[in-house]
Amino acid sequence: MASCLDLRAVVMRYGAGPGAVNALESIDLAVEDHEFVTIVGPSGCGKSTLLYLVGGFLRPTAGSLQLRGKEIAGPGPDRGIVFQRYSLFPWLTVRGNIGYGLDEQGMAKAERDRIVDEYVQLVHLEGFEERYPRELSGGMQQRVALAQTLACEPDILLMDEPFGALDAQTRRILQDEVRRIWRRDTKTVLFVTHDVEEAVALGTRIVVMSARPGRIKEMFVRGFDVGDGEEFEADPAFAELKLRIWRSVKEEVEAARA
Amino acid sequence: MRIVPLLLLICAWQAAASFGVLPKTLLPSFFDVAAQLGAHVRSGEIFGHTAASFARAGAGCGIAVAAGVALGLIMARMRAVERAMEPILLMIYPVPKPAMIPLFMIWLGIGDFSKVAVIALACLLPVVVATFNGARSVDDMLIWSARARGTSEARLLWRVVLPSALPQIAAGVRTAIAIAIIVLVSSEFISAEKGLGYLIFSYGGVGADDAMLAIVIWLAALGYFLDRGYLAGLRRVMRWHAFAH
Amino acid sequence: MPLLTRFLPIAVILLLWEAVSRTGYVNPNVFPPVSEILLRWVQIFWDGRIYPPLWDTMWRALAGLTAAIAVGVPLGLLMGRVRAAEWFFEPLFSFGFPLPKIALIPLYVHWFGLFSLSKVMLIFTDCLFPIVLFTYHGARGLSSVYLWSAQSRGTGRVRMFWRVVLPLSLASIYDGVQVAVVVAVLVAVVTEMVSGGGGLGELMIRAYRFGDVRTAFAALLTVSLAGYILYKLAQWLRGRLLFWHVAEV
Ligand SMILES: Nc1ncnc2c1ncn2[C@@H]1O[C@H](COP(=O)(O)OP(=O)(O)OP(=O)(O)O)[C@@H](O)[C@H]1O
Ligand SMILES: [Mg+2]
Repeated sequence: MASCLDLRAVVMRYGAGPGAVNALESIDLAVEDHEFVTIVGPSGCGKSTLLYLVGGFLRPTAGSLQLRGKEIAGPGPDRGIVFQRYSLFPWLTVRGNIGYGLDEQGMAKAERDRIVDEYVQLVHLEGFEERYPRELSGGMQQRVALAQTLACEPDILLMDEPFGALDAQTRRILQDEVRRIWRRDTKTVLFVTHDVEEAVALGTRIVVMSARPGRIKEMFVRGFDVGDGEEFEADPAFAELKLRIWRSVKEEVEAARA
Repeated sequence: MRIVPLLLLICAWQAAASFGVLPKTLLPSFFDVAAQLGAHVRSGEIFGHTAASFARAGAGCGIAVAAGVALGLIMARMRAVERAMEPILLMIYPVPKPAMIPLFMIWLGIGDFSKVAVIALACLLPVVVATFNGARSVDDMLIWSARARGTSEARLLWRVVLPSALPQIAAGVRTAIAIAIIVLVSSEFISAEKGLGYLIFSYGGVGADDAMLAIVIWLAALGYFLDRGYLAGLRRVMRWHAFAH
Repeated sequence: MPLLTRFLPIAVILLLWEAVSRTGYVNPNVFPPVSEILLRWVQIFWDGRIYPPLWDTMWRALAGLTAAIAVGVPLGLLMGRVRAAEWFFEPLFSFGFPLPKIALIPLYVHWFGLFSLSKVMLIFTDCLFPIVLFTYHGARGLSSVYLWSAQSRGTGRVRMFWRVVLPLSLASIYDGVQVAVVVAVLVAVVTEMVSGGGGLGELMIRAYRFGDVRTAFAALLTVSLAGYILYKLAQWLRGRLLFWHVAEV
């Protein structure tokens, strides 16, 4: 059976000549349907690059990226992406932003508004539909970005440190929401983070990347279910997995510094 | 509160005139000027001239904004157009635009065409430059985000590049409006049968300083309120943008 | 080679222009070939006809500009550091900056006569606004750290202006001067076009009256080039005088 996403020997180099940066070196990764894959690694190891390649924004220097057996040729609504920085359209309201992709599909207004309302509810932003991004807090903006992405009903969700810039509390709440949404729709998710705890709390599989040039160093499968509440945090298995992954990441962070 | 210094200045002016410190031959009193302005407004004479002037400035500025925004956007998205236009714009840049008035009068006559053409040319550069810079500095993430949600390359210009460049375009247009008024007055001083510049010049020519200053103040006030109105309009239309102060 | 391709578009336009006006479809006295314009340009430099008006325009522009710097910089610094001065002058200059000072030409002619003085005064007035405002913003935005540091070393209030405020505001003052240079040349030409008295502006108006497009064009090229050189000179001076200044990113 073909995987949902299949990366083979992907190499990515920025620029050419002596100034070139080897961002990724020979990445092999297969992601099955309904998997939640989290990617951790030191800063600058190429995590964003990997996601941009899957998104189709960048071309790999070598190797192949296939989505359901077809080579990725460019960006498309089948892959929804939430960027590291807020990337809402500042001139559109919350409603306009969430409905953006639907507008682009040429959907009728009534239908569009119905769907937008549904996603507004999903991310708990009722009452803020007519606000502009600058009138929202960082956490609310990232919720809008999530709803904007989900509203296009992508096959696969790409998230690049979506909560990196948020405070710890907001981040926890949004993590729970993402997990809830994933369980509800059982979408396929590729989620980049540098936070090991987040990686374990969300991912069914955790990929650790090496310092630049990025390679896949190790993979961990989370054998237990975390459920919907916070109980998993008291689970010794959770703490143990977290520690193992952190040790693996730490080596790379130190290697990156050296 | 910020109007107090201006009021003080006007009071000093009137006081100096009333106490005879400032001879009438040098500067008419503020009240005389105000009375002239009142008379001009009451007779309605001033409105025809205002309309003539603003039609010229508006036409010139309008052409410049339409052409400038289109050109700036295309230059920002298409390297070839940028390469072709850049040296041409660089060449026009140092030309003091009002100095082109005599040439345009030869080419297009002394009527409205030559004035509108010079105003349009003078306003074009700030609009093109602002649009180009705005469109060039569009956040890549926004473009990617739109592409990932199914926006085609052609629609990108309309859906993402233009709105994101809008704050800078608006600032460029504001500069263009100020320039338009300067070039307008210059061109009406040089040749016109109607318009506020013509009125100022002809009153000045016959030594009617109070009437002349009345029109100068009228023009300044219109220019000021135009600018304020423009800014207020922007704030309403672009509620999404965080303006400086 | 890259320089050549860069200016290719201009070359194409000039060639087209030349070709069109040589076909005879347009009146060569209204739309003369470029080559003839350039020839006239060389000619008026060669026979010296351009120097008196060029000199007139340039000295007026520079005199007005110099006076504006002499008055505007101290005033701007004062506004930046003294509350009362800021309260009174800032609204006046902010209000007046976008207004067309050109409209005062008839009044200035009445006050200062038809000749150079009225022109220099108007140039002075027009240049004063950018210089005052830029200086003010520079002096106002200074980081207090510098002032405190100078104070703690015993610098007095008046010396502070000289030794600390002025040097730290220089970058901003120069930005104002850059703007004023452009304004000075522009206002010089406009006043000459409107009220005569020699200079490149009057030369152009006279050329227009005689329907002499070639001379009008040559004069326009001269003004543009002179303005450009002045601008570049100011830029160069700025670099020399502000060698210690690191542009803030
Ligand atoms: N456009 C680019 N041009 C040149 N080099 C780039 C470019 N984008 C990224 N790089 C380099 O590629 C490497 C990987 O960058 P990437 O943004 O993918 O890292 P990351 O793992 O997402 O880091 P972070 O955790 O800080 O977001 C970095 O060393 C970076 O300097
Ligand atoms: Mg990144």
